[in-house]
Amino acid sequence: MCTKIFLSSGLFALLVVGCQAPAAEESTSRLRIVCTTGMIADAVANVVGPDVMVTALMGPGVDPHLYKASQGDLQQLSQADLIFYNGLHLEGKMVEILEKIGSTKSVIAVSDGISRDRILKLTHLGDTNDPHIWFDVSIWADVVAYIGANLEKLDTLHAADYAQRTAAYRDSLHQLHEWVRQELSTVPPAQRVLITAHDAFSYFGKAYEVEVRGLQGISTVSEYGLKDVSDLVEFISGRKINAVFVETSVPAKPLEAVVEGCAQRGHEVVIGGTLYSDAMGQAGTPEGDYLGMVRANVRTIVNALKGIDHANVSH
Amino acid sequence: MDAIWIILTGTLVALCCGLLGSFLVLRQMAMVGDAISHAVLPGIVIAFLLAESRDSLPMLIGAAAVGVLVTVLIEWLHRVGRMQADASIGISYTTLFAIGIILISYFTRQVDLDQDCVLYGEIAYVPLDTWILSNGTSLGPRAVWILGGALLLILTFIGMGYKGLQLTTFDASYAATLGISTVFWHYALMSTVSLATVVSFESVGAILVVAFLIVPPATAYLLTDRLPVMLGLSALFGFLSAVLGYGLAVATNGSVAGAMAVAAGFWFILALGIHFIKKRLHAFPARRKLPESYI
Repeated sequence: MCTKIFLSSGLFALLVVGCQAPAAEESTSRLRIVCTTGMIADAVANVVGPDVMVTALMGPGVDPHLYKASQGDLQQLSQADLIFYNGLHLEGKMVEILEKIGSTKSVIAVSDGISRDRILKLTHLGDTNDPHIWFDVSIWADVVAYIGANLEKLDTLHAADYAQRTAAYRDSLHQLHEWVRQELSTVPPAQRVLITAHDAFSYFGKAYEVEVRGLQGISTVSEYGLKDVSDLVEFISGRKINAVFVETSVPAKPLEAVVEGCAQRGHEVVIGGTLYSDAMGQAGTPEGDYLGMVRANVRTIVNALKGIDHANVSH
Repeated sequence: MDAIWIILTGTLVALCCGLLGSFLVLRQMAMVGDAISHAVLPGIVIAFLLAESRDSLPMLIGAAAVGVLVTVLIEWLHRVGRMQADASIGISYTTLFAIGIILISYFTRQVDLDQDCVLYGEIAYVPLDTWILSNGTSLGPRAVWILGGALLLILTFIGMGYKGLQLTTFDASYAATLGISTVFWHYALMSTVSLATVVSFESVGAILVVAFLIVPPATAYLLTDRLPVMLGLSALFGFLSAVLGYGLAVATNGSVAGAMAVAAGFWFILALGIHFIKKRLHAFPARRKLPESYI
């Protein structure tokens, strides 16, 4: 009896989901696009414009390492005409499923659009690459170009439209890239050190000549050791660095231990603010899109490293 | 069709886990599934270091090897070391998990490597991961084939070893006088459990496997004291949990594995209610499963 009720409620829910579909199909020629991360969805949305439905499986604040699929995500993936994902193992085991879907529809790893020599390797073991490509804005511009090229190929009817939007968005990314470079060049080279809890900022460091130090590795289960903390304390007090940074998706606790350790050695270092690392801010806020997220991160970093109290800086 | 595949996958996991879990619950080894889910970490790291790849196959082999190792270790500590079952489970898996963390910190701290991102599957995506032949024909979800194979293996094992499993579970000393090796049946059961759980982890993730190993057998245990009936009821409650759980997941747009585990808990509470009512009705219960203080 109970089973029947739940089965029928399940069927009902399927019907509801099914009924939503025609609304999107009204614009028959347009695509339904699903992306894994918010950053990719933002890039795709900028290429296709407001008429095409673009959804992200991992919303604001969702750490890709900890993402769990919901019932609706299956619907999204099976109804999508086109799927974009990051690749370089950011999506973990889900990539195997995405590749499987790729045999019946277009599934594109955006990291394939970057030349191999720009991809940072993590270790000498196998194909272990750093997936955090979005922190180098010039690399992200290449990603956008790759997304645009694929869309032009797959939806020839709107190719001119996509090409125009891609070019316009790439312009703003190139401007952003220059702006980030200029902003960071105002920090004295000796002070230009970005210290975070987990190693997500290697691309950022390489692109903008910032030394990057992380307390723990990329894997979420790898723990930081006591020596890691004392090495980092030594480094910060030696270089007289003003600030360390917390990430939205990683606990702040380990860095607090570093701050305390420095205080005991007579060097004052502050938590310089919170950086968006693996996910963007809430939709509707300035940090809810890629451009805003990068600007917010850079402002936080520059102000804190220069020793300006970030609370008193109006954005 | 997607719904049918997901419910079928959930049911296959429930049958595999429910049948083996019944013996585990009776042997007070129910937490062995959770133990295996943690203990496989060093297997994953070593497999990665050897294969230099995070593909499913090397991960599965590494995990299965350590899965068997942890069950052997648990049995050995319990039998030779004279530790209680719960203590030997606790010692074995925490040690292995910790070894895994140390291996990661030492060798692969820069690599995203843990059960969640390289081993655990996602039941919601089962319909998408189909087995496609070289000529393009799709044979349906890969997980259904793998779990179906595992179920066949388990049914064969229980069918052929029923007497041995039953006697060594309920009365080990009597079994010994009949010349049945308790050691052999313990290790045989535990190895089957670890292979079945690791394969299930790869298809549907950990929480569902751990829940289905314990909750449906425990539900069945409340309602009967006959082993064949308990096996049948475990399978039935597993199936009902998969169906109810899927409905719940659709209704809430939530995690399918989570909803199925919740559904298993729902049937358990229902059975607990029936159990209490039955106890009230019989002033002199025919049997006592646990000391009064436990209930």
